[in-house]
Amino acid sequence: MRDFIIRRLLYAIPTLIGISIITFLIARLSPGDPIRLFTFGIRDFTQADYEHLLHVYGLDKPIPLQYVDWITNALRGSFGESLIYHRDAFAMLIERVPATLQLAIAALLLQLVIGVPLGVLAALKRGSWIDGAIRVFGVAGHAVPAFWLGLILIIVFAVHLRWLPSIGLLTVGHDQWDIVDRIKHILLPAFVLALTGIANYSRILRTETLDVLAQDFVRTAHSKGLRERTVVFVHALRNALIPVVTALGGILAALVGGALVIEQVFSWPGVGQFTFQAAIAKDYPIVQAGVMFTSTLLVLSYLVRDLAYAMVDPRIKVS
Amino acid sequence: MTHHLTARTVLVVAAAALLVATACSPGPAASSPTPATSEKPQQGGKIIQGDITDIATMQPILSADTSSSRIINLIYDTIILADPNNGEPKPRMATFSISQDGLTYSFEINAKANWSDGKPVIAQDWLTGLKAVGKSQKTVRKSSFQDIEGFLDYCVGSASSGCKGTAKEISGVTIDPVNAKKFSVKLRKVSCPAIIDLNGYTLPTQVFGKYVTDTSKDEIDTAPENTNPTVFSGPFKFSEWRKGDQIILDKNPDYWQGAANVDQYIVKVVANQTAIANGLKTGELTWGGIQPKDLADMQTVDSVRITKYSNLGYTFMSWNTLSPTAPALADKRVRQALAYGIDMDQVIKAVVFGEATKQVAHHVPVQWAYPSTALEQYKFDKVKAQQLLTDAGWVKGSDGILAKDGKKFSLTISTNSGNQERETLAQVAAEQYKQLGIDAKAAPEAFQGLVTKLTTGDPVIEGNIIGWALGAEPDPYQIWHSSQIPDRTKGTTGFGFTGFKDSEMDKAIEAARNPANAADCAIATRKKNYETFNKILNENQPYNFGYANNVIVGSQKTLQGFDPHPFNQIYNVYQWWIKQ
Amino acid sequence: MATTTAVVRVVGAGVMARPSRSLWSNAWWTLRRDRLTIGAFCVLLMLAALSLAAPLFSQYVFHYKFEQQDLLHTYEKPQLDNLAYLLGSDEIGRSQVVRLLYGGQISLFVGFTAAFFNLTVGVALGLSAGYFRGLLDDILTWVITTLNGIPQIYLLLIIAALWRPGPFTLVIIIGLLNWTGISLFVRGQTFALREREFITAARTIGARDRRIMFRHILPNVLPLIFVLAAIDVGAIILLESALSFLGLGILPPTPTWGNLLTNAVSYFVRAWWLVVSPGAMIFLTVLCLYLIGDGLRDALDPRLKTH
Repeated sequence: MRDFIIRRLLYAIPTLIGISIITFLIARLSPGDPIRLFTFGIRDFTQADYEHLLHVYGLDKPIPLQYVDWITNALRGSFGESLIYHRDAFAMLIERVPATLQLAIAALLLQLVIGVPLGVLAALKRGSWIDGAIRVFGVAGHAVPAFWLGLILIIVFAVHLRWLPSIGLLTVGHDQWDIVDRIKHILLPAFVLALTGIANYSRILRTETLDVLAQDFVRTAHSKGLRERTVVFVHALRNALIPVVTALGGILAALVGGALVIEQVFSWPGVGQFTFQAAIAKDYPIVQAGVMFTSTLLVLSYLVRDLAYAMVDPRIKVS
Repeated sequence: MTHHLTARTVLVVAAAALLVATACSPGPAASSPTPATSEKPQQGGKIIQGDITDIATMQPILSADTSSSRIINLIYDTIILADPNNGEPKPRMATFSISQDGLTYSFEINAKANWSDGKPVIAQDWLTGLKAVGKSQKTVRKSSFQDIEGFLDYCVGSASSGCKGTAKEISGVTIDPVNAKKFSVKLRKVSCPAIIDLNGYTLPTQVFGKYVTDTSKDEIDTAPENTNPTVFSGPFKFSEWRKGDQIILDKNPDYWQGAANVDQYIVKVVANQTAIANGLKTGELTWGGIQPKDLADMQTVDSVRITKYSNLGYTFMSWNTLSPTAPALADKRVRQALAYGIDMDQVIKAVVFGEATKQVAHHVPVQWAYPSTALEQYKFDKVKAQQLLTDAGWVKGSDGILAKDGKKFSLTISTNSGNQERETLAQVAAEQYKQLGIDAKAAPEAFQGLVTKLTTGDPVIEGNIIGWALGAEPDPYQIWHSSQIPDRTKGTTGFGFTGFKDSEMDKAIEAARNPANAADCAIATRKKNYETFNKILNENQPYNFGYANNVIVGSQKTLQGFDPHPFNQIYNVYQWWIKQ
Repeated sequence: MATTTAVVRVVGAGVMARPSRSLWSNAWWTLRRDRLTIGAFCVLLMLAALSLAAPLFSQYVFHYKFEQQDLLHTYEKPQLDNLAYLLGSDEIGRSQVVRLLYGGQISLFVGFTAAFFNLTVGVALGLSAGYFRGLLDDILTWVITTLNGIPQIYLLLIIAALWRPGPFTLVIIIGLLNWTGISLFVRGQTFALREREFITAARTIGARDRRIMFRHILPNVLPLIFVLAAIDVGAIILLESALSFLGLGILPPTPTWGNLLTNAVSYFVRAWWLVVSPGAMIFLTVLCLYLIGDGLRDALDPRLKTH
């Protein structure tokens, strides 16, 4: 087991290096540059000034040298300074992490709270129209474009019914600890983010529950006289949730990465939206920090998931 | 953009201002201030504003974005202020005069002007700001001061911009040995725009002096006081910056023009423009900009007052007269046809819901440089447009598309994607030009690529939609002088991407910028030159000058004293008060 | 497909040998009775036909071109009086229904073309890695885990924001980013198949590697690749529409279902019906593709459903 952990950790290193190279290249090789962007139209700003600024920010060095500079600094913990905000890129990124994390966790909760019961219900009511509807939802939930669903929900709940807000995470002027206000803001984006997960879980739980229901120990429990519902919830669920729990880390990380579009739709001030705006403004340090951060999170979460699988089910091959 | 002033005598300025103010100008009148009440201003309350981006810095010499400038203007006063109505430079913390030969500018700082720590604002503070620009590596403002004698010897930076970094002092700046509040600045040549640039940056020497000593390098760029300032000359003091969330300013009780009436000025970072509109509706925000598409909705809100004024800037379509793929653009008649051939009123209705005024030349109505003689308004006239095109040799082929010498008239109108207004404008314009028989199409692309193509004079650009934000200084040298046309063979860049040049126009621009006789920097004389300049542009239409859109500002009715103008929205912020 | 070899159905656990043609005929038999999948297939065909016929519709039914504007009739409600405004008109008076039809062309084109790239790259790399193993496999695994380490849509959006590709470049970029799942699957199958007797037999005869890969392994992997393909096309259509929505993919005036929603925020109050139709089309198309994928999988290998 220890060997396995060490081996997996070692495998993660070349992956992270590969990710850093990709991240760096997609940023620095892209056409155009940020200096031209933020100095467009400034009075008296000459070509000479432009070349000077390029030099000051180290953008005129050959790409491999820039990469070496960047990676050595990154290993020391510094991802550089934002070209536009002149503040530490990583620090700015971290400021945004709580917002995205809240969204991802809320989505995860919704997935479990809605998806799991749906799946169990479908299994229990197998063959009925409820089962059919949930199974259709299981597929349809993946086919809905997330951004469109967000827009429709905004139109229904924010514009017409005015029950829920559509922008940001807090109403301007409200206290940070106004929980009710925060829940109102997080409800719609978290639901949209959770949708594919809900569909997934309903399918997985349905299958797992069906499997479990057919097994011997259930029949034994039945014969003991326990009510079906108890049997299901106590025994079936416990086994069925194993794959769910072990995948939690990966799901969380994936949610962090996948929240970008939803953050855009709801103007949610998270990491994804921040990195995206930085990409539009070509603020390289932030883009690079953002991608590295999300990717490292994902890679680590895969590691944790593999470990969890290995610990939970020794039958599964570990290499 | 920095302020600019030519002031031979205040009388001439005032007279000219009167002339401009009464001149017939299309578009909405400048807003009248909130009705004068005889009420005494109440004390207390907060002013809360919404902004879409967080600030970058509170160091004036490094600021390159509007969010940062907004805060900087609240905590640091400048020696000159552009008149909010017409942009002429007026004294603020200092009075000024210009020598007969136009080369020496003398300033005297107001006796009352002081810093929040009690020390008076002195000439040395202005010099500290100038030296900071000289020593900074990251500032984008160095070139504004290169006409000051000795500045190039002092500044460090790109050698190609002339900075030598050899001198320890700036020879052109002389501080009066007797009166610490008096100083004079000597220029290398007569420059009408100079006074706006000479506003410079007045920084507290007691804080920033240590970054501009003889041995200092570029420590000013990373000074902690850039993000945590401690001494202020403006109506507000920096209190707290909750990064990514909001900036809190407290009132400066020692403000030299009188302490503000409100207790705090807060700028909150909000998600987008709609959030600002929402904030105004709920009363969470005290004032903010409103987009035309939200105007109708806003007008139904009782608690919000709407103020409109014409923008200091315009959105336009530029024509590349040197385009190899659209040779028609080289012909003046074609460009005039492109002006007659588009129904700008319809376009303005569709794109900005009618909230704009058509432009036919460079300067906008709120500037004193706006020509008072009538210009050709290019009213929508399809027949005339068609006639001009025929005169230019473009005849409709069997497919309905104009052709000349076997070549079809095709036109690609680029613009930057992500800007809904401009994308819509591009598509509407393309459709209208199709009616004339031009094979026109809209082609949005990313701003980053567009900017590079424009400034390097990439011939692939034919028509392009973009906008200019103008300043108090009307000098159009960087856009319209022939030296600013990018040249790929020489590798020079510039904003003259139409390739249009005219020697008369060049002369007029030069005469209004660096006249031989300093007396010609008087507003009246400069205005005459700009009349010539605008007339040439109006006739030749290297741009279709598009429109100057209206700035719409919403404010709570409880906010009194609020008086936004094209040139300055917060000039009297210390006089605002909240009716409780 | 070789007639002498047995088709091996490879599944997580056991291996069963069946007479060669029954996989396909079995599958066909199952499919024929799967009304849902058949229905989805028909709907998809209909959508494709409608999109391809967009120019005809535009000219003969609606009498309105897709870029045609009418500044006097902006934000029209859906109506029957003017067929061109059947689904309403947008901010400059363009016909929503005509643009919707043309939009289908782009979405389906991007979907199928990029999926084709994905499959080509994925299958080729997966086969090679699974067959040759060793260093090639290690490098490929490294590339795959690296690519998988960056959340996919995140990477695509960042690349699109930085590079601003045109439509054809976009197809290539999506094609080069989405193949990891396919290649992992193919690689896994190849691994397992490689050890089977019929492969050893072929090698003993002296068959070249390439022949073995293409004539023996590939056909056995192929059926399930169809499943992956259907799902892939659906996923790509979702990706492309998200990109266009954000203003990064295909830009106006060319209409795509995604960029018809770019200005959705301005439609909220004035013309909410404009938000419904493009998204509904995307949903319908992708749903059909996913149902077809599901149906194919059920038909070809029902045991895979549980995973």
